[in-house]
Amino acid sequence: MLINNTSSERNNISLLERLIRDAYTPLQSGVVEFKDRFGSFNTYFSSKQLLRQELDSLKEQNQELLMENQLLREDKMEVRRLRSLLGFQEISLQKYEMVAARVIARSPNNWYRNIVIDKGLDSGIEKDMTVISPRGLVGRVASVSRDSAHIDLITHREIAVGAIVQENRETQGIVEGLGNSNLLRMVNIPYYSTIKPGNNIITSGLSESYPKGIDIGIVKEVELQPDGILLSALVEPAVSFDKLEEVLVVINYYPEVLPPEDNDVEEIGG
Amino acid sequence: MRYFVLGLLPFMAIFLQSTFFSTYSINDALPDLVLIFVVFFAFLNGERKGAIYGFLCGLFEDLYLGRFIGVSALSKAVTGYIIGRMQVRFFNENLLVGLMIVFIGTILNSFIMFIMGWSVFSVFNLDTSIISGAIYQSIYNVILAVPVYIWYYNSTQKGVLSSTGER
Repeated sequence: MLINNTSSERNNISLLERLIRDAYTPLQSGVVEFKDRFGSFNTYFSSKQLLRQELDSLKEQNQELLMENQLLREDKMEVRRLRSLLGFQEISLQKYEMVAARVIARSPNNWYRNIVIDKGLDSGIEKDMTVISPRGLVGRVASVSRDSAHIDLITHREIAVGAIVQENRETQGIVEGLGNSNLLRMVNIPYYSTIKPGNNIITSGLSESYPKGIDIGIVKEVELQPDGILLSALVEPAVSFDKLEEVLVVINYYPEVLPPEDNDVEEIGG
Repeated sequence: MRYFVLGLLPFMAIFLQSTFFSTYSINDALPDLVLIFVVFFAFLNGERKGAIYGFLCGLFEDLYLGRFIGVSALSKAVTGYIIGRMQVRFFNENLLVGLMIVFIGTILNSFIMFIMGWSVFSVFNLDTSIISGAIYQSIYNVILAVPVYIWYYNSTQKGVLSSTGER
């Protein structure tokens, strides 16, 4: 009966579970600290030439990003003007209040894959909040204790996210985790969709829990489902969960209030 | 002291698995240190104590994970019981026997976990990754079991896990 009661998601974990997790949090955080220090100790002894090469490469990358940033800033202004002209609701990350957290532990067994972060109830984190990283969607908060939270990754079977293909913006579907595998499956795609391997899958924003436009992954394979009217696609997650060190938890969402229509016309006209 | 160490072992095992070993998987398979301790305890103490210790260690692991509470407890209790039954059939002084027991215990535990997860809760997909995962985990456990068994066996004979005068 206990197994059955805890097989589905629970709103709250028991006091005993909370105590066990709180006992582990300082130890797991300590390991991360130790790794950080040990890492910098290693760097000190690394070859200078290697570091110089890395620095040159980063400088070059920085220049390219600065250029790209200028162009994107210009595009952003244009998109904002067009959106207000068309009366579209703007969806951007600025409307999400986020808390940064460090990954301090991972699942200790092979059966359920999750991560543990070093922020919990004290930092305003609650169950079901969305977790992202600069590379893309990570998952959802499964349970929270005082100083830590367990995150179900998007590869978890119980997570389903509304998604679209970034290239054509038309193909919609639902991305689901495959459980034990490190891959995702996008289902409910109409047979006439132009989805193909290499396409980028992003969140559609249909569900308010997930910000629109967050990278989910890249299409690896597309196949026709047995019913013959729907397609399904195998998606490789954008985030490398094994290397994840820091994440952002969306703790609040502020829907944008649209400006009156007259003002929009004036702005565009001016 | 003996009971304190026996309680500390699963605690430390989960700590090491969630921090250190989680970043050093073999083909996506992580070791199960808790199971190694359960197997050794059962092999050296018999089926009844093995089942109880397996249940308690599994329950602790379940409470840490917070999902399907009881699955690990049951699988480790059954594994502890079966391994404990083997106590009279093998010489426990031999390291190779210890390693063989760990291999059998890991396969057995994975099989029980899979049966419970698949038939009762439909949690797992029936694919080859489950089987290969169990095999890789068995190999990983056997490798780790080499130093652990030497320490564990010596501790039960004349160290902190020795039962003489500690009960």
